[in-house]
Amino acid sequence: MTRTLRESGILWARQMKKLVRIPLLLFFALAQPLIFLLLFSQVFTNLDRLPGFEYDSYLQFLVPSIVALTALNSAFQSGIGMVTDIESGMLDKFLIAPIRRSSVLLGKVFADATRSAAQATVIVLVSLLMGARFATGIPGVAAMTVLAALFGIAWAGLSNIIALRTRNGELTMIVGILITFPVLFLSTAFMPSILLPEWLDTVAKFNPITYIVEALRALVNTGWDWTAIAQALGVTGGLAVVTFAGATRAFRKAIE
Amino acid sequence: MALIQVDELVKVYPGGVRAVDDISFVVEEGEIFGFLGPNGAGKTTTIRVIVTLLKPTSGRVAVDGIDVVADPEPVRRRIGYAAQFIGVDDDLTAMENLVMQGRLHGLEPREAQRRSHELLEVLQLVEVAGRRAGTFSGGMRRRLDLGQALVHGPRVLFLDEPTTGLDPQTRRALWEYLRELNSRGVTIFLTTQYLEEADALATRLAIIDQGVIAIEGTPAALKRGLGGDAITVTLPDDAGPDATEQAARVLERFSDTGEAARFDRSARVFTAEAASRLAEVVRALDGASVKVARLEVSEPTLDDVFLRHTGSRMRVEESKPPSRLRMFGRGR
Ligand SMILES: Nc1ncnc2c1ncn2[C@@H]1O[C@H](COP(=O)(O)OP(=O)(O)OP(=O)(O)O)[C@@H](O)[C@H]1O
Ligand SMILES: [Mg+2]
Repeated sequence: MTRTLRESGILWARQMKKLVRIPLLLFFALAQPLIFLLLFSQVFTNLDRLPGFEYDSYLQFLVPSIVALTALNSAFQSGIGMVTDIESGMLDKFLIAPIRRSSVLLGKVFADATRSAAQATVIVLVSLLMGARFATGIPGVAAMTVLAALFGIAWAGLSNIIALRTRNGELTMIVGILITFPVLFLSTAFMPSILLPEWLDTVAKFNPITYIVEALRALVNTGWDWTAIAQALGVTGGLAVVTFAGATRAFRKAIE
Repeated sequence: MALIQVDELVKVYPGGVRAVDDISFVVEEGEIFGFLGPNGAGKTTTIRVIVTLLKPTSGRVAVDGIDVVADPEPVRRRIGYAAQFIGVDDDLTAMENLVMQGRLHGLEPREAQRRSHELLEVLQLVEVAGRRAGTFSGGMRRRLDLGQALVHGPRVLFLDEPTTGLDPQTRRALWEYLRELNSRGVTIFLTTQYLEEADALATRLAIIDQGVIAIEGTPAALKRGLGGDAITVTLPDDAGPDATEQAARVLERFSDTGEAARFDRSARVFTAEAASRLAEVVRALDGASVKVARLEVSEPTLDDVFLRHTGSRMRVEESKPPSRLRMFGRGR
């Protein structure tokens, strides 16, 4: 256990160094969600007049969705990094070292989680500046970053599966982009359940995004909704386990 | 016990390519073992099996008596590997790259720092230690990559074409450094396409071609095995294939094995005491009315060894015109 932590810690530190070394990457991963935050909160501002819309403002409603969008964006970059490591020979360098195979993927997962958490914090700060209020205060924001980190891990796993199966960075990126918006719009991320057409509302109930967004939304707007949090942890955690297992399998196959 | 032991190694890639076809050899501790072969010969495949990155199809490979398939981890502790295609992280500095490799090989942070600094000095990268590797020239990247393979102080160093793409000066400096490492007890396994490199560096070498080891031995013994110095007859520009054939027939009489190599408008034989038999050769050629443009005695090269044992040339040297070849009587 300590050994795995030590080894994946070294690889985590590498990812962190890379991240701060190319701030542009971080910036672009955040730029699009921030633009959406600004735009959507203006464009849809009058949605709060609709009957059934029970939030103080569309901004209050939107912040969790933007946290989810940001986490999705960076999660889908994870696989691209994997392809780069394969192509650049860095993966071989890790495989030739006397470390556990699992440490390689774990180091990456921890880095993805850290990144999602940090970006969630940025989104929260910006939305504070825009006038959003957080019902659960600082502990609630901390809980949001933890959920965002778990959510990041879950989807980064999928990105790594695609990356390891295709070994193609562009394809991995395109698939990620293609998935992002459908999964968000097929959830309650941009429209409350009650205002969705019936079929979409049904689809949203099977969409893991819905659960994370609802839990975050409670933290922002109403308070500690433990049922929503438990559901989000269950669904997102389950997804994380599934995609990590898939990524591990794809990884084993890729390195034989 | 041999440090590296390869027994009946076969590697067939998923597409069905038989990259390595039943090879066996050993490398003793303290050697600089050269693995010489042309493009696609199977050098990289062999090396990747030994360094635990590739599973063999069949056969047994052991390093320091440890099976590389059954027990890869202790093998990894003993080896350093600089791949044919350089693997450095462009976003990290030279120092960070080295320290990370050291840490992954189990060094404590301070020890990793100390070793990395030492290597940066030896590899003349101190000035750029804090620069991102992405800004490095090809030669600097090569050196950094070599440093990564050395940072944990391995007993065996595997180098896959370490000097490809380096200028002659850097290449010579690297040879010098490898010799020094070797004199301090590091066993070196290196692949190369350069005959000069194998000749200059290897204490023993194996020639691999199309997945098969054609021959192995010390460079000197391999050359001695050709039977003496080379006498090369070059015919005038207007000479046809018949004239070449005729010249080769004459030369065959001077070979212990009755063999002579035929090239485009030239033929070559290896014979003991070549210089003193030159007059005889001239008379014999004259007697067969072969017109000669040039006659030359030279020491055998590894290229000659390669030609003899594989039936093709390793590489046509720049100074000689490309030639279509027929071999020492043996087809492929
Ligand atoms: N991953 C792979 N899948 C299928 N075939 C491969 C693979 N890697 C190598 N080969 C084939 O195996 C043979 C040996 O390749 P290898 O890379 O071992 O040669 P090499 O001696 O290192 O050549 P070079 O000097 O060009 O590096 C070649 O025919 C090559 O095309
Ligand atoms: Mg090769």
